[in-house]
Amino acid sequence: MVEKLLFFFETDCPTCRLAAPYLNRLGAKVTAISQDGEEATAEFVRQTGLRMRVEVDDGLRLSRRFDPEFVPALYLLDGQGQVLESHVGFDKEVLNRLAAALGSGPIADPYDGAPSRKPGCGSRHREGGQVRDVPVTSAGVSPAPATRMALDDSLDPIDYCRQFGDPLPVVPPTVERVERMLRATPLPAQELVARVPPNYGAATVEKIAANAVMAGCAPEMMRVLIPLVRAACDERFNIHGIQATTHFAAPLIIVNGPVRKELGFACGSNVFSNVARANSTLGRALQLILTNLGGARPGEIDMSALGNPGKFSYCIAENEEQSPWPPLHDGSAVTLFAAEPPHGVSEHTARSGREVLKTICYSLATVWNYRSCAGREALVVIGPEHARTIARDGITKDEARQLLFDNTGVPLRVFENTDAEGTQLVKMYQEITIDGQRCYRKFQSPEAIHIVVAGGTAGKFSAVIGSWATGTRGSLMVTYPV
Amino acid sequence: MPTILVSPLDETPRPATAPAPRLKTLAGKTVGLLDIGKPGGAIFLDRLAVLLEQRGAARIVRESKPTFTKPAPAEVMDRLAAAKVDAVIEGLAD
Repeated sequence: MVEKLLFFFETDCPTCRLAAPYLNRLGAKVTAISQDGEEATAEFVRQTGLRMRVEVDDGLRLSRRFDPEFVPALYLLDGQGQVLESHVGFDKEVLNRLAAALGSGPIADPYDGAPSRKPGCGSRHREGGQVRDVPVTSAGVSPAPATRMALDDSLDPIDYCRQFGDPLPVVPPTVERVERMLRATPLPAQELVARVPPNYGAATVEKIAANAVMAGCAPEMMRVLIPLVRAACDERFNIHGIQATTHFAAPLIIVNGPVRKELGFACGSNVFSNVARANSTLGRALQLILTNLGGARPGEIDMSALGNPGKFSYCIAENEEQSPWPPLHDGSAVTLFAAEPPHGVSEHTARSGREVLKTICYSLATVWNYRSCAGREALVVIGPEHARTIARDGITKDEARQLLFDNTGVPLRVFENTDAEGTQLVKMYQEITIDGQRCYRKFQSPEAIHIVVAGGTAGKFSAVIGSWATGTRGSLMVTYPV
Repeated sequence: MPTILVSPLDETPRPATAPAPRLKTLAGKTVGLLDIGKPGGAIFLDRLAVLLEQRGAARIVRESKPTFTKPAPAEVMDRLAAAKVDAVIEGLAD
């Protein structure tokens, strides 16, 4: 008789982090066993939202008894505690089989964007090639501290640091400046926050701090940067592909909640530009982390054909105070979208909300290219004046999204007699009528259109931002609480 | 007083991996052709298959990635390994 499932994990193992939310779906039937200390375990539970019973494997006694080679390690036990089945690493098929054995339905959707399989990390008790008796530290085993480099007095630190940044000068990451950053976070300097694709370099708190100094961040920005790096390295966001594509895509950061005011994020006029230290430095810090730790340098791994000015910095905040609708996220959070540069939508004469939205539809129809439908998403950044006109007509945010979805299409005639991109896929497109004209629907679902209100209160402008490849075959928008 | 900097670069230790040995001949070899799923990839790889066979390759094994945006999943790599390929040619980009 199948009784329960044991889930051995390490707090710094990305595969364990990937597996955690799936196992959550089995509820009380799973017991998680941490190979790290209380503090690191509590932090892992907080970050992953683990809802099952969690035990810390004191002295790694259980790990030595079950002796998995890798984690995550799963053991299906019967009522007497005998092992019926075991598995290491992440495997959706295995997860669903184990769920069935425990009397649950499938817990791992094969098309949810996560890989179907992913190898794990070496089990803590076997580290160093032998079974360890020593308990691990509270933070788990961490990468080595960053190298200290003593500069000769003849060298100008700003000139020397040009090798570390984008082409603009950076603030030299001196020990004193990095320590000031580190004092602003409760996390230990060597704690591994994420491994940054495509090279999977270790983003420790200290490395993040050094890059934050270079970007010009205030120390308080560490509280946003840590969840931001986690979000960027979330498998669903697929930063691996975003960094390696020849497309325009760059991660656009959208900040919500009280943290906007607390740290001085701009959400009003010039929201996309050089208006606030918080926006400019957070966006730049993420880019420096992605290139310095992830390795996708322009001209090397990042061979984007035309690039994106957002690769210097691409960070906005939602103007929640001027928005008539609920925000993208309730509470302090960072959201990432694999974005093209913004495309302006000017509409100064339409008197009704519906007509303003119709104007936005015509811009939305050009995302990716005019004749390509169904495969992309878009972020619509609605300026406060437009938002007010739309809301004045009683249109809710969901209704606005539905209206954009229903009225964005491409006339059938533009697909005739051409082999242009998108035209080969017309059999997959849905035919609809918009204003009496037969069209193909531009987007696959209303959820492919994301709405944010941002910008200044003067000026009847909005913006449409096209996506990169989206959904489970590309990049999914991710939101992490701050 | 010298300025002391904290390295902001990736310092993850990585063992150097030697590239796979180059094939001296195609005669009798099994060659895997991996399509990453971009438009036009199949046209390129179809032609390559013909050319490889003309040059003596014994067997061509075709594989494709489910999406070009992500690294090849383990299943694809496993299938190529199970086919005992001597070399793999990847049709990258459009």
